[in-house]
Amino acid sequence: MTRRIVVIFAVLLVIALGLASYAVYLKRKVARDEDLAAQQQLAMAPSANGPPTPVTLYIASDSDATLRKSQMSVVLPEERSERARAVLRALFGSYLQSPSPHPIGAGADVRDVYLLGDDTAVVDTNSVFADKHPSGVLAEELTVASIVATLNANDSKIARVKILVNGQERETLAGHADLRRFYLAGNIGQVVKDLQ
Amino acid sequence: MSPDSARSPYSASFPLAASAAVIILLAVLGLHRSNLDAQTPAPNQLTVYSPQTTYSVPLLDIKGQTYVGLVELLEPLGAVDARPDGKKYKLHFTAAGGRPEEAQFTDGKDKAKVRGDNYKLPANFVLQNGRGYVPLAAATNLLAKLLSTQAEFHAAGRRLFVGAGVERFTLELRTGNPSRLLIGFPSAVNPTIATEPGRVRFTFRREPVAAAGPDNVTYTDPLITGASFSEHDGIAELDITGNAPLMANFADNGKTIIVTAAPAPPPPVAEQPPPAAATQSAPNAPASAQQPRQPPTPRFFVLIDPAHGGSDIGAAVSPSLPEKDVVLALARRVQRELASRGIAAALLRTNDAAISLDQRAASANAARPALYVALHAANTGRGVHVFTALLPAANLSPKSFLPWDTAQAAFLDLSGTVAGSVAAELDARKLPNTTLLAPLRPLNNIAAPAIAVEIAPPSDKVDDIASASYQDQVAQSIAAGIAAVRAKLPEVRP
Repeated sequence: MTRRIVVIFAVLLVIALGLASYAVYLKRKVARDEDLAAQQQLAMAPSANGPPTPVTLYIASDSDATLRKSQMSVVLPEERSERARAVLRALFGSYLQSPSPHPIGAGADVRDVYLLGDDTAVVDTNSVFADKHPSGVLAEELTVASIVATLNANDSKIARVKILVNGQERETLAGHADLRRFYLAGNIGQVVKDLQ
Repeated sequence: MSPDSARSPYSASFPLAASAAVIILLAVLGLHRSNLDAQTPAPNQLTVYSPQTTYSVPLLDIKGQTYVGLVELLEPLGAVDARPDGKKYKLHFTAAGGRPEEAQFTDGKDKAKVRGDNYKLPANFVLQNGRGYVPLAAATNLLAKLLSTQAEFHAAGRRLFVGAGVERFTLELRTGNPSRLLIGFPSAVNPTIATEPGRVRFTFRREPVAAAGPDNVTYTDPLITGASFSEHDGIAELDITGNAPLMANFADNGKTIIVTAAPAPPPPVAEQPPPAAATQSAPNAPASAQQPRQPPTPRFFVLIDPAHGGSDIGAAVSPSLPEKDVVLALARRVQRELASRGIAAALLRTNDAAISLDQRAASANAARPALYVALHAANTGRGVHVFTALLPAANLSPKSFLPWDTAQAAFLDLSGTVAGSVAAELDARKLPNTTLLAPLRPLNNIAAPAIAVEIAPPSDKVDDIASASYQDQVAQSIAAGIAAVRAKLPEVRP
């Protein structure tokens, strides 16, 4: 290589390294800001008043690959979609505790639940939920089935469920479970039965 | 709160900066690469020929030396159980029909032990991400020692011959009008043939062929002027040159190829006299010229899909045990077990290639297998989980036009039959198992009977998921389960 090429190479390398460092810095800043926004969002969530109401959760267990019905008391908001969100956050809470029967990524949360018509729920999770979810056919199926079955158990009109990640459609949860489709509570009912 | 409201103002500038960095990096790497390419060709793959199989293994350039992965090199030839232990790498290998052998290597050292003997590698052993790599120059000796057989390496062509060895072809020119060049092989061959004016080229990708005489031969013949044999990147090529257009014919059940002058092109149709009786065929015309093409024979083969690959490692069964490696090893065992039961099987992925879910489904549907088996591994639960697609029942005929997202719905009954049979075989071997419906991609998109099998560790010791004995039992169960219901699965016309 001639001296000129070496100099050009060195200059370009320095520029590239500089830009790469800046990109990493910006990426980390974006992540920090998103976390902050998520925390603010949690803080802005409407506070529920009133006595705790018993809800039904379908809790997954990795050790014996089961999905079992469980009761818990949760303070529920009045609005239907907010109630669905509160129930799912109670479900996530049981997975986020330590020790967990079915660990999901620390920081996983339900951003919103949107109801389309009477029978369809669109669950918008945060990116941590999918990014840090343990990968595996059974692990992912347990999560999906517990979400759908729990929603249906507490609001029997919800017959179809779609799961979004950070407002976007994803191909799979963590490499296996299909997130492009609407799940039918009737179909998941068969899975729940098999996993009892 | 809308999904967009949490987006940071930095989101817009980040892609711009990242794109600029990537472009400059690529330019820098491209400049550097172009200089490197001018000096040394990048190594890519080694082709291994053995009596049982022919396969290709990717090669890596590590510190200027060409290396090959030990597991990738040995797995197609037998059962491999390899695991790192600190800086050491212990390998147990049992060739098909052979006895167990052991070898031990140390990261950064050129001293190894193979079958209890000290063995010096031509360069240091490399342990990267739990995978062991040996210098390519050591591959021949290692295979010969572990297989207790002869091995021959053609370095220039990156072709390694194990066991039965090289099949050498002979050339015999028979002069005449026209002259004929007879190329004789010890066994039938099936090369790719390409022709151009004055040249015909045979490319051998799977046959262990090499020249019996010199690689380049010149003839003083008015038609055929020369033959040239070469090997490169794991393939062999034979070029025959001539002074006129050449053609090739097979004889002796594919053991002989005859190269001779191509017939002159027929005169233009307009110059031909009109047929005397255009509507009647000649009663004594050769039957083969008038017979319609026979429909292809139905076949039965299983397509095995080892999930994930490349940067998609799947589940981290343990920090040193990615799902993609566990399932590739299992897939090869299942293929062997099926072959031992007389069932042909192909692997959708034979190396560490990244294939998207849609590509997997498209490839599987194009191959038209009698059965599709996806293999997964995870550390959730214990034992084996057998899945069929979670789809609403649909009244679809397998012969009708099938929607992509629910193509599997037409085959659910047969898929369930196979899953039940595999579960029964797992029970028979006392392996804990569960049969479930699963919302698994690309199972939904497969237009054939299809199951997925996910293995979990058999005990609390997670690394046992990769043990030869456990994987063999699972592979035997899957193969026996498929063999038991083979008669119920339709053979498919290719």
